[in-house]
Amino acid sequence: MGNNPSSGRGISRFLSGRFGRKLIQYALVLFIALTINFALPRLAPGDPLMYFMGQEVNTLTPEQRDRMNRELGLEGSVWEQYGDFMKGAVSLQLGSSTKYGKPVTEVLRERIPWTLLLVVPAFVISPLLGIIGGAYAAWNRGKRRDVLLLAGVLALESTPGFWVGMLLIAVFAVRLGWLPSYGAVPLVHSDDFSYYIEMVRHLILPVSTITIVTVGTSFLLTRSSMLDTLGQDYIYMAEAKGVSRRRLIYRHALRNALLPVYTHVTMSLGVLLSGAVVVETVFSYPGLGRLLYESVVARDYPMMQGVFLMITIGVIAANLLADLTYPLVDPRARSRKQVKEAV
Amino acid sequence: MKRNMSKNMGILGAVLLGLIIILAVAGPALVPYNPTEQSGLPLQAPGGQHLLGTNDMGQDIMAELVEGARISLTIGIVSAFIATLIGTVLGLISGYGLGWLDALIMRVVDVSMTLPFLPLMIVVGVYMGPSLFTQIAVITLVMWAGKAREIRSQVLSLRSRGPVLAARSMGAGHLYVLRKHVFPSVVPLMIPQFVRAVNTSIMLESSLSFLGLGDPLSKSWGSILFYANARSAFLTDAWLWWVLPPGLCIVVTVLAFSFIGYWLEERVSPRLRAYTGAFSKLASGRFGKTKKPNPIAVRQPDGASAEVLRVEGLSVQFPQPAGTVRAVEAVSFTLRRGEVLGIVGESGSGKTTIAAAVMQLLKPPAEISGSICFDGKNLAQLSPVEMNELRGSRIALIPQAAMNALNPVMTIKSQLAEAMVSHRSIGKAEVLQRVSEVLGQVGLDPKWGDAYPHELSGGMKQRVVIAMALINGPDLIIADEPTTGLDVLVQTEIIKLLDDLQQRLGLAMIFISHDLPVVLRLADRILIMKQGEMVDEVTAEALTASTVHPYTRRLMDSIPRLRAKKAASVSSLTEAEAGGGSYVRI
Repeated sequence: MGNNPSSGRGISRFLSGRFGRKLIQYALVLFIALTINFALPRLAPGDPLMYFMGQEVNTLTPEQRDRMNRELGLEGSVWEQYGDFMKGAVSLQLGSSTKYGKPVTEVLRERIPWTLLLVVPAFVISPLLGIIGGAYAAWNRGKRRDVLLLAGVLALESTPGFWVGMLLIAVFAVRLGWLPSYGAVPLVHSDDFSYYIEMVRHLILPVSTITIVTVGTSFLLTRSSMLDTLGQDYIYMAEAKGVSRRRLIYRHALRNALLPVYTHVTMSLGVLLSGAVVVETVFSYPGLGRLLYESVVARDYPMMQGVFLMITIGVIAANLLADLTYPLVDPRARSRKQVKEAV
Repeated sequence: MKRNMSKNMGILGAVLLGLIIILAVAGPALVPYNPTEQSGLPLQAPGGQHLLGTNDMGQDIMAELVEGARISLTIGIVSAFIATLIGTVLGLISGYGLGWLDALIMRVVDVSMTLPFLPLMIVVGVYMGPSLFTQIAVITLVMWAGKAREIRSQVLSLRSRGPVLAARSMGAGHLYVLRKHVFPSVVPLMIPQFVRAVNTSIMLESSLSFLGLGDPLSKSWGSILFYANARSAFLTDAWLWWVLPPGLCIVVTVLAFSFIGYWLEERVSPRLRAYTGAFSKLASGRFGKTKKPNPIAVRQPDGASAEVLRVEGLSVQFPQPAGTVRAVEAVSFTLRRGEVLGIVGESGSGKTTIAAAVMQLLKPPAEISGSICFDGKNLAQLSPVEMNELRGSRIALIPQAAMNALNPVMTIKSQLAEAMVSHRSIGKAEVLQRVSEVLGQVGLDPKWGDAYPHELSGGMKQRVVIAMALINGPDLIIADEPTTGLDVLVQTEIIKLLDDLQQRLGLAMIFISHDLPVVLRLADRILIMKQGEMVDEVTAEALTASTVHPYTRRLMDSIPRLRAKKAASVSSLTEAEAGGGSYVRI
């Protein structure tokens, strides 16, 4: 942004600005998430070592125990442990999974692409449907179709995602046999092309589930924002100017109504990552969410914390993306310097 | 109508919730089975003995649903209550407290709202071990922050309201203000917050239980689905009675709470309540029965050839539940080329409605009668497309609120250009040239064309809006209080500009204002409006000399005069302090 970060005053000004404050907040969120990870195994009842090693811990001799405590950073004062933990976290040492017997980061790396494959299409489809529906409902405010759409969306908003997933499986996978219900790719696959086809087929039900349960938020948001915008003076002015109805709806009303929706949608990428926990569990999809569930079932604490941290990072990244790109859609958020140049 | 809809939603919600509560309370008496014991064959289909069949362990599903209702409602209500309570206390402290305390609390709120709630609940929940207590604790943990933020913003808006400010300025202590003013207003706001929190926490509970983090000793609806999923209920027909009912119970309960919450919120939230008065801007006229048309005779113009606009017997009314609002009644006037007609009246006298009616921009609930002829054509008989062709091209509007009349995401240039290309197809270069020209005409450097509205001052925006009205060379301009919201100096400049342009371009103009001195300066003839009716129509000269109608006389007399000639600017200056004087600011 317009400031020069190399000078001290520039930095302090930058950090007290809107964007700077956001950055501090995200750093704080990351720090808190790490602290939660640090504190939980130490505060929870029982032997902390158990949380790192699983049930194996009961078979250890006292000497082995001491060695493990040393290796896992469970020795020394709390502050020393805390410092070591943070250092480890910065260099992405998140311990190793008791279930997989591999470093947590390695398992995470295997799973992330699958989750993205699932979340990104939903991230595109769901807001698109929500925005179109919301704008349509707002334009027809108070009419029967608006009320029906609204009631339908409220019902969807009240529906748990896992239940939608289960029903979709029961109907489309089991009854009709149209689509696979399990995993991301078939266990046996022949050539390359059909492999990708299968991959897409495996995506349809989980992506639909995520879309169904998230479409309501962008619908409601677009609708209320659009209603707000339609009452604005510049809409009246545009109408008085004689612009066509289409232009009035899209160029003037929807364009402005989408500003708050834009932020929400971009940030929802992070929310979708958390939401994937439930949906991936239903569809046994090998992503981060399913990994979290599996580690909960296996009480694989390091893995669980790793996923929590990863999803937190995802949320922060989504928020950052929203903050950074917002000026592209709203000229009022652009820095003053650019404005001066333009004028 | 909107009101009714929300009330119906509230009733529907209450009925649905009532059903669920009956299920939870009276259920054990109606279902003769224990949900934790085998009471039939595994996966028995619904029938006489087991109303909803059995699960794979032979447990009665109906009995499970009853227990689930108790668990789900308990967790939902308890954790929502705690979260709302914590949120309210912190929101009050934060919204009413000292700067640093507010900053600290809001920082914590921001951070906890950014953390991904579901994984957070899972991680904390796993360490705490599955139990009823764990569920309530983790749900509260992720919900308090949102409540604190909402209550805080409501407290902030309360703080700046009259009674609180008045009490503070009379030296009332913080505790007194909190107890007497803030708390009584916050309590009704807490209720919808609580209802919506129940709604969220029931959803959260079901997700947690579905992931196996529910209390293993007592099954909620989510836990039933967890077992159904773990044992692949959907591979057989059993999903019909094992998966469908608990899910429906969740949907019905959550929907019930969200309906009730919606209804409550609309009842208490001032922001939403204001919404029902959406037409107040246009229809702030009086309520009442039909009155006889005003007896004032329509004065026929001598030369009808130069006539631009003829309005005859124009009435506008807004049917509303409390009675029809008559915004304009039996108004008639004509306007010739090069003539300026002033319309003067207090707020709510129907001036703006006349402008909107001539532009054919009144929206459906408005009922219009009488005729409006522009250039010999009855506007009401034109198709929407034909009318759109006239609007902005031959009849242009300078609207009341220039501050917000420009689209914030479009440059000045593109908004001006849009007004042109909507009416004819011309080359880009030509458009840009005309844009520069018209910006120059209103006294703006053409370089401002690249700016966005927020970069302009109020006076500059007003100039842009005037440029927009001029750009297509209209025959008629309707200036609807074009100086509202501008400071006095700028007002004078804008009036001068309009005066100049009108004379130079020979425009026909309707100039609407509550500021009689300003109108006197511009208008040839003046229409005096009162409560939607025309009480007088006079020429400017006649008005300054002597007047017929007593209301007009009173208006004239109310203009404070230091020196008669400077009346215009003086009256504008006194506006600010004229709260007490009844007719100074009409």
